[in-house]
Amino acid sequence: MIRPLEIAAGLMLATALVLGLVVPPDAVQGDLQRIMYVHVPSAWLAYLSFAATLVAGVAYLKTRRMRWDHIAGASAEVGVLFTGLALVTGSIWGKPVWGVWWTWDARLVLTAVMFFVYLGYLALRRSFDDPETRARRAAVYGIVAVAQIPLVHFSVVWWRGLHQPPTLLRPGDPQIDGPLLAALLAAVFAFTVVYAALVSRRAEIARLEDLLAAPSADETVAGSGVSAPPIVRDTR
Amino acid sequence: MIRHVTTLFVAHLRDERRAGEVMLVIVPFGTVALLVVPMAVGIDTPLLDRIGPGMFWVVLLLFGTIVTQRQSASLGESRRDMLTLLGVDPAVRFVAAALAAALLLTVFAVVIGAVTFVLYDPEVVDPGWLAAIVPLTCAGIAMVGTIAGNVAGGLGTRSSLAPLLVVPIAVPILLAGAQATEGLRMGLGILRWILLLSVVDIVLALAGVLTARPLEES
Amino acid sequence: MTDWGWVGLAFAVVYGTLIGYVAVLVRRTARLSRNREGR
Repeated sequence: MIRPLEIAAGLMLATALVLGLVVPPDAVQGDLQRIMYVHVPSAWLAYLSFAATLVAGVAYLKTRRMRWDHIAGASAEVGVLFTGLALVTGSIWGKPVWGVWWTWDARLVLTAVMFFVYLGYLALRRSFDDPETRARRAAVYGIVAVAQIPLVHFSVVWWRGLHQPPTLLRPGDPQIDGPLLAALLAAVFAFTVVYAALVSRRAEIARLEDLLAAPSADETVAGSGVSAPPIVRDTR
Repeated sequence: MIRHVTTLFVAHLRDERRAGEVMLVIVPFGTVALLVVPMAVGIDTPLLDRIGPGMFWVVLLLFGTIVTQRQSASLGESRRDMLTLLGVDPAVRFVAAALAAALLLTVFAVVIGAVTFVLYDPEVVDPGWLAAIVPLTCAGIAMVGTIAGNVAGGLGTRSSLAPLLVVPIAVPILLAGAQATEGLRMGLGILRWILLLSVVDIVLALAGVLTARPLEES
Repeated sequence: MTDWGWVGLAFAVVYGTLIGYVAVLVRRTARLSRNREGR
């Protein structure tokens, strides 16, 4: 039951892993720079998932087809994962470079805020039993949250603009070209395919869960001798 | 339509007067928080002066969220159903609820501000500007809180869920308020923060009004 | 810790998390299929 997309994703991920480890080290930062090959794709996907969750939510409100809600929820779950990874890898990269696990760099703060928006969105989804209520409320919150994100961006950038920390390494800053750039692009592409595969699978799970939770047409009324035993739902 | 808004607005305030949740519960809670912080960070006068304004904004945001989730914020299932039957636009309900929350928040802010002033003795420069900044932040928090309350629905996890929904996206409001008061102190221009607050409020108002109907329809 | 140590840590966290998440998804799919068949 493994899909072609998933096989492709797995192979690409393995390739990206190998490339990240074998390409020559950066001239300035040395081997430490290799963390970029997991940090940048994670950050990219954090933002992509976010956008996808919004778009899927809007699509749900327009079409009222549950498929979009399943995608929205799946994208948010995968998104929170990658946002968390972006933060953690950013920290791991930062510690040897700046000596601290966290700095109040605008981009880090923004990513952290996004992480909590995701968490809130997922908590909101979990609080509903009825799939349609869940879909509607989550879509609306998604829209409101995303509408605020540019403003969050400006407020944080203006705030940190007054005290920019020195030599803050941005993922794009190391002058990369040639094999290093190729490795980075390969990683970004591979991770994106992985994202698609994960969302696809996760959305399918959501669809099945909704199906199982809903009473089916041929289910007999309570009291009949042939009703199915209660299904224990897998809770996260 | 304005009459609908006014009627509902007054209804919210009357509910709150009967319940007394904001003045008798949340204000004391916020005050206790302000009291407790120096116990944790130290009562060094320059330190408290330094963090005083920031603490005010944090308490306003965090506890203000509780204000927006108060019992009287929700009109109750039966009244809501009646309003729907009568054909009252959901957007009207949002506006009325947000306005009521904003007013209560402003009252809350004034009281908490006074407490901060007493406990932390911050240096206040150009207090006149606060007359613009505080209502704008209160309006913003009110709107986010009202939307969050509508979206979170059911009473079970609402009290813990709503703050999580509100606080991250209210970051611009917090930053604008805090940076504005900091800016006043340092003699910097604060117009950009007032501008940001205004834009945030407009965006939130639009979001609240435009999503009111999709939220209702089942 | 050496540079390669940090790199290893970052890679382990990321790839480990991805593999772990995939495992979770696989398990949930299996359980759902079993439940469906039980109907």
